[in-house]
Amino acid sequence: MSSVRLLKYASRRLALLPVQLLLVSLIVFVLVRQMPGDPTFLYTGPFATTERVAEVRKQLGLDEPTYVQYVRYLERIAYGDFGLSMRTSQPVVADLRQRLPATMELILYAVVFSVLIGVPLGVYTAIRSKGALNRGVFVYGMTSGALPDFWFALVAIFIFFYKLHWLPGPIGRIDLLISKPQNISGLYTVDALLTGNWPALASASGQLVLPVATLVFIYMSLVLKNTRSAMEDMLRSEFVTYARAAGLPRLMQWRYALRNAMPPIITVTGILTWFLLGGAVLVETVFAWGGLGQYAVQSVVNSDYAALQAVVLFSAVFTMVIFLLVDLAYFLIDPRIK
Amino acid sequence: MSSDNPSLPATPLPRVGQQTAWRDFLSFTRQRGGFQLGLAIVALSLGLAVFGPHIGPYPTETALPGMPLQPPSWRHWMGTDVSNMDIFSRVIAAPRIDLTIALVSTAIAFAGGVALGVISGFFGGGRGVPKLLSEGIMRAADIIQAFPVFIFALALVGFRGPGTENVIAALAFLNIPYFLRITRGAVLQVRERPFVEAQRCAGNSEWRIAFVHVMPNALTPPLANISPTIGFSILLTSGLSFVGAGVPVPTPEWGSMIAIGAPNMMTGQWWTALFPGLVLGIVILGYALVGDGLKEFLDPVNKR
Repeated sequence: MSSVRLLKYASRRLALLPVQLLLVSLIVFVLVRQMPGDPTFLYTGPFATTERVAEVRKQLGLDEPTYVQYVRYLERIAYGDFGLSMRTSQPVVADLRQRLPATMELILYAVVFSVLIGVPLGVYTAIRSKGALNRGVFVYGMTSGALPDFWFALVAIFIFFYKLHWLPGPIGRIDLLISKPQNISGLYTVDALLTGNWPALASASGQLVLPVATLVFIYMSLVLKNTRSAMEDMLRSEFVTYARAAGLPRLMQWRYALRNAMPPIITVTGILTWFLLGGAVLVETVFAWGGLGQYAVQSVVNSDYAALQAVVLFSAVFTMVIFLLVDLAYFLIDPRIK
Repeated sequence: MSSDNPSLPATPLPRVGQQTAWRDFLSFTRQRGGFQLGLAIVALSLGLAVFGPHIGPYPTETALPGMPLQPPSWRHWMGTDVSNMDIFSRVIAAPRIDLTIALVSTAIAFAGGVALGVISGFFGGGRGVPKLLSEGIMRAADIIQAFPVFIFALALVGFRGPGTENVIAALAFLNIPYFLRITRGAVLQVRERPFVEAQRCAGNSEWRIAFVHVMPNALTPPLANISPTIGFSILLTSGLSFVGAGVPVPTPEWGSMIAIGAPNMMTGQWWTALFPGLVLGIVILGYALVGDGLKEFLDPVNKR
């Protein structure tokens, strides 16, 4: 009964994407117009003549009605033209392309480790609902949600870099004395591995440890809690009760339960990825990571509006893609849909 | 019912009223240590928001004479920062601005979210203008929630400029969809109850039924959400201030204090950022505990 409905839903979901994009661009357009003052003066300077101001305003298209401006703006972003960053004097698109891999590398490892640690821990605490580990997990769940990630990162730097000298300091993605690996994917660890550049791999991995550990500690509880509750629900379900009554071994019962707890786990992994894009902003700032998040912060602090606008738009597109992927993953794991 | 069965001894029915509710609340609280801890932290934070800036041993926005970056001692319990300001005095003064932002923005988000949630929940699935209104509200909420929270907050403040009012506006705007969805969910259940039909028969207008009769019965879930939202707002405010997009610098605020202390953490003066963040974490934990406790107390399923 549900397969046809879900297929319908998914196709509607895909058809919705352009509409969502349009609405998101409208929001960003309105947002930019919240800016105090007249952007014309950013280009003319404060002492320009009235004629000069009128000329620049015409050049920028600011003398046109708002809806015409919006259409022009849509045209420009359709061609990938987000303007120049006032801070880096580069096209914003070039800036984004340069910084995106840094953020993706951070988020990728954070998601992978959150799932690798969070899911087994969630399953375990669902199966054994008592004991020290369970209490520890409960305390961890409460505290990790309350601690600011940027503060946790600073404390981790103090302990592991300053006190113990175990890990490198917050100087970005790779040691300054080690040359970057040849650019293939943009992810330093992957590129270093592909080209067999071991010093770069060691340095890039070392730099990743603290920021990734911070993100995993703060955001993993999302995966853990949801896995546990999904697993608990499944263990209480009728088909697991039946499996138990039929005398199937415990391990088999748990496997059945986990298989059916997968959809909520996949959803929460999507939500986690979405969360991490926001969480990366502050952690990147602490570790001088040079990614999208740090770029966003620098554009806010320096009133670099073209850059900020592009980051916000990108983050919304990223969100849509993530949730689209989550929906598609449902098709792959739920045999009823095929 | 006892009147149907005269053989049962007449037992006084429990009085349903404020006193009983209060007694329920007290006995509930007595059984839960985490909830008590949360209430204590919340009360303390509110007390500090009122008195904090006046009870510290040192001024909160001026540098003291002498060497900066003094470690914690009897004179400076949490040490001093890079401009030789007393960290303890500033940490207990910070709730003034942090809680003001969190409370005001949450109040606005609550009012706006509940109103919109009642409209979208009560008129959803109907016909005509109210139905369009309901759909429009939900789609708008979808779009607002399509942006990662912190990036959107950063952008709102970025385009409007830093400052307390703009942080409040951004947080209120971001939190409205949460209250909206929770309220809508509750309204969708309440509107199916028979008393709504009875009010309709009595000749009440739809809007009157929605706001006078349905809304009060759908307030429990959004009310239980207030406390965690306050905690979340404090966290966001501190994050914005940490990167210089929130509360401007000399004002005592936890996030900006952590930012001031950040470079010192890498050179060994751990007290500069540790204490503001620790207190911030404890306060947010307090609001989360109160939220959890209230949710459990108000949830009719979990009531004995």
